[in-house]
Amino acid sequence: MELWEAIKGRRSVRSFTAEPVSREVLERLLEAAIWAPSGGNAQTWRFTVIDDLETIRRVKLVSPGLLGDPTAVIAICQDVPKARAAGGALGETTLAPIDAAMATQNLLLAAHAEGLGTCTIASFHHKGITRLLRLPEGVEPVLLVSVGWPAEVPAAPVRRRDGVFHFGGRA
Amino acid sequence: MTDRPVEDRLFELVGYMVTSARNLLDETPLYGPFRLVDAASRLVSILETQGLASGRLLAMQGAIDAGKYSVMREESEFAGYLDGLVDKLIDHAIGDGGDV
Repeated sequence: MELWEAIKGRRSVRSFTAEPVSREVLERLLEAAIWAPSGGNAQTWRFTVIDDLETIRRVKLVSPGLLGDPTAVIAICQDVPKARAAGGALGETTLAPIDAAMATQNLLLAAHAEGLGTCTIASFHHKGITRLLRLPEGVEPVLLVSVGWPAEVPAAPVRRRDGVFHFGGRA
Repeated sequence: MTDRPVEDRLFELVGYMVTSARNLLDETPLYGPFRLVDAASRLVSILETQGLASGRLLAMQGAIDAGKYSVMREESEFAGYLDGLVDKLIDHAIGDGGDV
C-alpha cells in the first residue's frame, strides 16, 4: 500500500466481522510496531495480544472505550522501571508514552495495509486491565488497540487546518 | 451471539456502566452522554434477545446507533443528535412514532 493512501485511508473502526485474525498477521503488526522510533532507543515497550473471545469480553468489562466486537485486542504497554532506568524521569513520564503512541501508529498503518480495521483506546481502567491480563510487575498498559476485519468503515472526519500549521521564523 | 446467557450480557452492561462511571472522572465530559445513550442501546439489544424489545424501543436504538459516533466529530453535531433523540422519544411517547 502506498504511504499516503495508508495515512489518509486509515479509520477508527468500531464494527467488525466475526472472522478471526491469524497469528501470522498479528505478528506482522507487532513487527511493524517495534520499528517505530524510540526515545534514546530504550525500546521498553511491551505488547500483549488477546485473541480469544472470552478474554476479550473480560477486557471489555473494564474498557468502555472498546466498542464493537473485535476478534483481537493488543495492549500497548511500557515496562516502567526499565523506561526509568533508560531515560530517567523524562523516560518514564514522557518518552515511554510517546514511544507507545508511535509504535501504535505503526501498528495501525500496518493493520490498514492488511485490510484490517483498528481503533485506539485510551478509555479503560488501567488497574483492571493490569489485573485481567496478568501483566508482569512494572509493566503498565498505555493504550489498547482493537483489531478485526471491518464490517463498517466510517467516513473520514474533517481535518482542521486553520491555526494548526505554523512556519516559524523571525520574532 | 444471541445464544449467550442473558446474565452474561447483563453483567457486561453493568461492567460497561460501572467502569464508565469511574473513568468519566478523568475523561472528556462529552463521553458521559455518549456512554449513557450507548448503554441504552446495549440494554435494548439484551431485551431483544429475550423477545422484550418493542417497536419503539428498537426504533430508539436505531436512532441512537445511527448517530452516536458524532461525539467523535463536533460537539454541536452531537448536541443536535441528542436533541433529535429526545424529539424521537417524545414522538414515540405521544404516539407519532409508530409502535406505542
